[in-house]
Amino acid sequence: MLLVIVKKELKRVFTDKRLVFSSFVLPALSIFLLYSLMGNMIGNMSNEIDEHIALVTIVNSPESFKDYIELYIDQIDRLKKEQGADFNDFQLEARYIDMTENEITNIKNSETGDLVKLGKTDVVIIFDQSFDKSVEGYETIQHPNVNTFYNPGEEYSSSAISRIEYQLLTGYQNFLLEKRFDGLSTLSAFTVNIENQNNIIAKEGQAAGLGMSFMMPMLLNIMLFAGAMGIGIDVIAGEKERGTMATLLLTPVDRKTIAFGKVLSLGIVAVISATCTFGAIIASLPNASEMLAGGTEVSIDSFGFAIGDYLMLLTVIIMQVGIFVGLICLISVIAKSVKEAGTYISPIYMVVMISAFGTIFTTQDVQMYKFMIPIMGNVFAIKEILTFDLSLVEFGVTVGMSAVIIGVLLKLITMAFNNERTMFNT
Amino acid sequence: MIKVSNFTKVYKLSKKQMTEQKVTSKIKKAADKVSFNAKEGEIFGLLGPNGAGKTTILRSIATLLKPTEGTIEVMGHDVVKEPKEVRRRIGFLTNEIKLDKHFTPKYTFKFFGKLYGVSDKIIDERREKLFNYFDIKSFEDKKISELSTGMTQKLAIAVSLVHDPEIIIFDEPTNGLDIITARAVTNYLEELKSQGKLIIVSTHIMTVAEKLCDSVAIIIDGKKVAEGTISEIINEYKGKDLEHAFFNIYEKHVKEV
Ligand SMILES: Nc1ncnc2c1ncn2[C@@H]1O[C@H](COP(=O)(O)OP(=O)(O)OP(=O)(O)O)[C@@H](O)[C@H]1O
Ligand SMILES: [Mg+2]
Repeated sequence: MLLVIVKKELKRVFTDKRLVFSSFVLPALSIFLLYSLMGNMIGNMSNEIDEHIALVTIVNSPESFKDYIELYIDQIDRLKKEQGADFNDFQLEARYIDMTENEITNIKNSETGDLVKLGKTDVVIIFDQSFDKSVEGYETIQHPNVNTFYNPGEEYSSSAISRIEYQLLTGYQNFLLEKRFDGLSTLSAFTVNIENQNNIIAKEGQAAGLGMSFMMPMLLNIMLFAGAMGIGIDVIAGEKERGTMATLLLTPVDRKTIAFGKVLSLGIVAVISATCTFGAIIASLPNASEMLAGGTEVSIDSFGFAIGDYLMLLTVIIMQVGIFVGLICLISVIAKSVKEAGTYISPIYMVVMISAFGTIFTTQDVQMYKFMIPIMGNVFAIKEILTFDLSLVEFGVTVGMSAVIIGVLLKLITMAFNNERTMFNT
Repeated sequence: MIKVSNFTKVYKLSKKQMTEQKVTSKIKKAADKVSFNAKEGEIFGLLGPNGAGKTTILRSIATLLKPTEGTIEVMGHDVVKEPKEVRRRIGFLTNEIKLDKHFTPKYTFKFFGKLYGVSDKIIDERREKLFNYFDIKSFEDKKISELSTGMTQKLAIAVSLVHDPEIIIFDEPTNGLDIITARAVTNYLEELKSQGKLIIVSTHIMTVAEKLCDSVAIIIDGKKVAEGTISEIINEYKGKDLEHAFFNIYEKHVKEV
């Protein structure tokens, strides 16, 4: 019986051109266009970044580094003349200042404040005061250290830091080693950020701005809800309004079965709709990777998931879909008309959006109780799975809580189906 | 077959309904201690003016509404305690209950057949018979939205008979049909009667009732005011015909109030 109902509901949805267009094609298409467009725009922006001349403040620079920077700038200028428009190497403008040990310690310990005093700068490089001496006395003294600071919320700054760390400082290291050993460059003469885990100049919220890959769980949730919303209202409130629901209630099929059939088919529809939208995101990745992952190439296998992770992800998503669909069904059953259902659902849609957005900015460890919050808990769980942080207990709590909520919703929906006041607007 | 005893139905009115119906009371007694029996092999009519409570009674027999007081038994099954057993045995048709216009007649028939637990083979047999009888055959693969009102009504009748029910309940069976279609419907009801089934219809058109029904119950303002065969009613209330008798009953009842 359940199967008969589910089959009919799915047939109803998938043979209706209007529904198919508005629930599957349109959202997928608009996401694809939007992302490709935004992706391209951001892509252009990062070309701009390449042309930008980075302002680098160098504290207590050893003479050898000044020499090296000079050499580098000369070389870059030469390349620029030779290559013309093709030129896209890293350009910088260096500013040298000196600081006492105390001032440096203050900066290392403070979050942002003291760096601001340095004025407008994209990256700060701080050398240990006795850097030159330590490098020279490499045989007896510990390697000296270089600290770098940047602002991950700022495109120029974060693009400059990687160039500095991977290109400039490595180059400088080789330069020193070459001087020392005549070409033996495999050893190290100093270390970068060895004691300075926290070399970010910005606050966390700002940092998250770039880590757009965190948006995935949020987008997924909103898509799942939006996909189910339109069709859910149509297949339940719409059927009530058109008088076709009563025909179903006259059959000897259990009301529970009818209710569950509706919920199940709507769940399937939601997943398919979300898959379409997800497909659109994947399809737009070549254009949108700049935006979604801050420039790093993204593809599905770059996540490095194991089967277990996929299963957890799938379970949590299905649970979330269950809650969404349950809510949508319940409201559609209680509402007297399609219009009324729409009115009631909007605030819930808002709650879903807020829950989804709310999780973006939490980067600390998620406390256990947060997994018990309806809807939001699942978003947290999805996020934690993506970052390999979800423990089995947390997973259990999320799934258990969801199951309880779905159970309650199903019970309420069945009650509503049995209630003549809701079914016949009496 | 159907036993209605002291059936009372009270609707709670919303504020909107109160203003719509221009009443100050928060409740509406749509049926007031109504009792009657209907037996197999007859066509039983519920007669009464608009708003008398006919639809309310029929919906309650069909388990869509629950009695506020009193009981209704359908072939020995209580509508509240064993609604599924009741639903299995009745076919119910009203104007407010519709078929999804998106599907074809053929699919709709099959879908409901399955929900009533009828086997595929028997569904096909019944479809052949009913679709031929009601001239739906040539439209069976069209969308219902493309059919005319009369055609849709005939399909609805066919669908309500997919499980070959013992009892057929029709609320205003010929409302909105042209005389040819109406005749086809009443003829079919006669045929069902001859198969020993019970048919309950409601109508406010006395000429229809007189032609179609064997016995009737007359409902005015939620109360049963008369019951009997057509000739019994005509004799008792000294009418030339049923319509005349009905007016006599109506006048007497309105005076009493
Ligand atoms: N859902 C409801 N809520 C409140 N009152 C209702 C409801 N349904 C019917 N009523 C009221 O109950 C009374 C009986 O209605 P019902 O539909 O049973 O009458 P009826 O005999 O079928 O009338 P008609 O010939 O117009 O179809 C009417 O006064 C109506 O306004
Ligand atoms: Mg009526």
